[in-house]
Amino acid sequence: MIETAANGHENLFKKLRYLIVDDFDSFRLSMRQMLRSFGAEHIEIASSGGAAIQRCTYEHFDVVLCDYNLGEGKNGQHILEELRHKKLLKRTSLFLMVTAETSKEMVMGAREYQPDAYLTKPINRAMLEKRLSSLVEQRRALLPINRAIDLENYPEAISLCIQSLPKLPKYKTWLLKTLADLYQQVGDFSHARKIYEEVLSQRDLSWARLGKGKVLLAEQQLDEAIATLKSLVADHPDYIEGYDLLAEAQAQQGKLSLAQNTLRKATELSPNALLRQKHLADVAQSNQDMTAASDAWRKTVQLGAHSIHDCADHYLGLGRALCDLSEGDTSEAGRAYADEALSTLNRMEKRFAETPEVVVRSRLVQSRVNLGQGKTAEAEKCLQTVATDLEDAVSLSADTGIEYAKTLFRMGRAGEAKHLLARLAEKHEHDNDLLQQIESLLDEPVSYRQRMEARDLNRVGIKAFESGALEEAAEAFGKALEIVPSHASLNLNLVQVLMKVYSDNPEQRAALADCDRRLAELSDLPEQHRQYRRFVALKKKLEALKHG
Amino acid sequence: MADPRPSANNGTERNNADHPIDFSMVLASAVHDMKNSLGMLLNSLDDLRASHSEALSETNSFNTLQYEAERVHSDLIQLLGIYRLDEQTLSAHIEEHYVPDFLIEHLARHTPLLEGLGIEYAVDAEDINGFFDDDLLTGVLNNTINNAIRYTRSKIRLTARESEGYLVIGVEDDGQGYPESMQHSGTLSFKSLDFKSGSTSLGLFFASSVASLHNQGERNGRIRLHNGGSLGGGIFEIWIP
Repeated sequence: MIETAANGHENLFKKLRYLIVDDFDSFRLSMRQMLRSFGAEHIEIASSGGAAIQRCTYEHFDVVLCDYNLGEGKNGQHILEELRHKKLLKRTSLFLMVTAETSKEMVMGAREYQPDAYLTKPINRAMLEKRLSSLVEQRRALLPINRAIDLENYPEAISLCIQSLPKLPKYKTWLLKTLADLYQQVGDFSHARKIYEEVLSQRDLSWARLGKGKVLLAEQQLDEAIATLKSLVADHPDYIEGYDLLAEAQAQQGKLSLAQNTLRKATELSPNALLRQKHLADVAQSNQDMTAASDAWRKTVQLGAHSIHDCADHYLGLGRALCDLSEGDTSEAGRAYADEALSTLNRMEKRFAETPEVVVRSRLVQSRVNLGQGKTAEAEKCLQTVATDLEDAVSLSADTGIEYAKTLFRMGRAGEAKHLLARLAEKHEHDNDLLQQIESLLDEPVSYRQRMEARDLNRVGIKAFESGALEEAAEAFGKALEIVPSHASLNLNLVQVLMKVYSDNPEQRAALADCDRRLAELSDLPEQHRQYRRFVALKKKLEALKHG
Repeated sequence: MADPRPSANNGTERNNADHPIDFSMVLASAVHDMKNSLGMLLNSLDDLRASHSEALSETNSFNTLQYEAERVHSDLIQLLGIYRLDEQTLSAHIEEHYVPDFLIEHLARHTPLLEGLGIEYAVDAEDINGFFDDDLLTGVLNNTINNAIRYTRSKIRLTARESEGYLVIGVEDDGQGYPESMQHSGTLSFKSLDFKSGSTSLGLFFASSVASLHNQGERNGRIRLHNGGSLGGGIFEIWIP
């Protein structure tokens, strides 16, 4: 029944160019023999990830057969990501991942790029022939579409997909998925959505549910997107892409702690995707959950060892998170964090020696780490090593500028820090993200621990105010302001409490004087500050109270 | 000294204090390792067979070696599947597949052994697409084909057809067929497994679990065991809605 090798597929296999990537000699040999026996002629081999990428840089291959586990160095997924990232592998080529694992476990690692097929060991000749011939046949049938996509001619690809749907029923799912992706690519979300909904009306398929969630997210229908994705991961707890997208939707809705929770689940299921760990680190950092952030940054750094996505920012992220955790904590645990921060940053300086400003940023964080451990002399020395780079700090990148201002605040040079931040704000007046960062830093130019303390007190104050315990509220806000005297919203919170104290009991004229002092603290508040309108409103109300 | 970094999952840690070892997890990771090792071993067996085909055709012990290794391998895959079923991390990722290719590719994996044993084999599939989780079904098929290799006299046939709105994949042989007590249709519960008799039917339990992970509206997947067909022996069928 199953026809024997060569004759039937000879032409199919013959013209293609193959690359075999495996660290085992015997496996490369037997793979090559199998391919030869099907009639393949152009077969190249590579024994490591580096060699494979080198080969693909200078030669075109139609089929790459890559072992996942290549011993030390890059694995198969690293190779695939690098090839696609550097556009060394076209869509018209096939990338086959050869694994000893069952495919689902592998799939769960990847976040961005997935191979065209997985081949699970053991592989024999008959298997390889059948699998390869159906893939090669599929490649041939879909070649015009993939070629159009490679050329970024999306309208052409879309019309080819539509034409092929009735002609190639065997590849219906591929065509529908690709078509929906293409519609999203060109921003036609309603057509993409129609495809997913039509598929779902026939049958409950997770890829279509995911796609629908993606479209809803793109259309900013966040509640619907979240509902769709939540039910998807409830039905399929191992569908990692569902968690990624759900976290994205939750983050866009401003629900960052929910997003962090979702990403934590996803990274527990699939710990080896660098970009997912990085996303978790970013979100945890925004949530000021420095323990979770440092764990996720640590993993991001580890996973970067052989990855195209490796980047100095990951090391800096880890260094900063550990710096926050260690600041003012000289116990054994605090010292351990500080040591790890310093060694991480030193490794970064070596690994990214060519990246601009890496040394300056490293030393700025190192200096804060030393200060946090009470080592003032070391901190000064750290800054000295980059003194010339810091002479004209405004000309450096904005990130480095912020880093420098942070360090200046901790060194007790608040005046210089504020001056630098003012000039940065001037220079980048249209960069809203940066302006917000500057505001937050001006609000809370203190260590992580103190920042958290002030925030806790703020929460206590708000709760007390809401339950009518004005005295308690004023005390909590007052204590918080001892830590962060210039904090805009905290000052305004206290003003609000004091005004209420006065209007409840006009005997308390001292409260009004306190209000004046607090508002005077904010006299430099710039117009674009998030609290500016509240500041103006309260100021007016205070005047009215005084004269009423 | 205590770890300075608090663990994210305090609940588990407390449990661990009472039960220092989560034995099923230890088992699962050991099984995972063994499965991968056997995969390598099976690969080497295929290589050996290819390079020493003359010498090996004389003896049956090589076939036994390969058959038993295949059997353990597919048992281990099922064990892992059942572990994940128990952990509730196993769900069917249903995609559309072209059924004839799927069957031909999976039978191909067994062809060296089938040829070594002198068993005839055929795929007889309608030209249809089916909706199923190919990883899960691969596990079921490997096990069923192994079983058929064990009980057949001389032939194995894989079939696929559409019936009553279900995709029916069948594995037929020309052996004695299933004993009366095993013939049934529907789903198996874990309780129905008999660990005292030599064959635990763990494979059937797995197949039945995989079938019932495939749902479409009100209709559930199931397995059916009976005898007869064109080869006159046992017939295993998995019905997927």
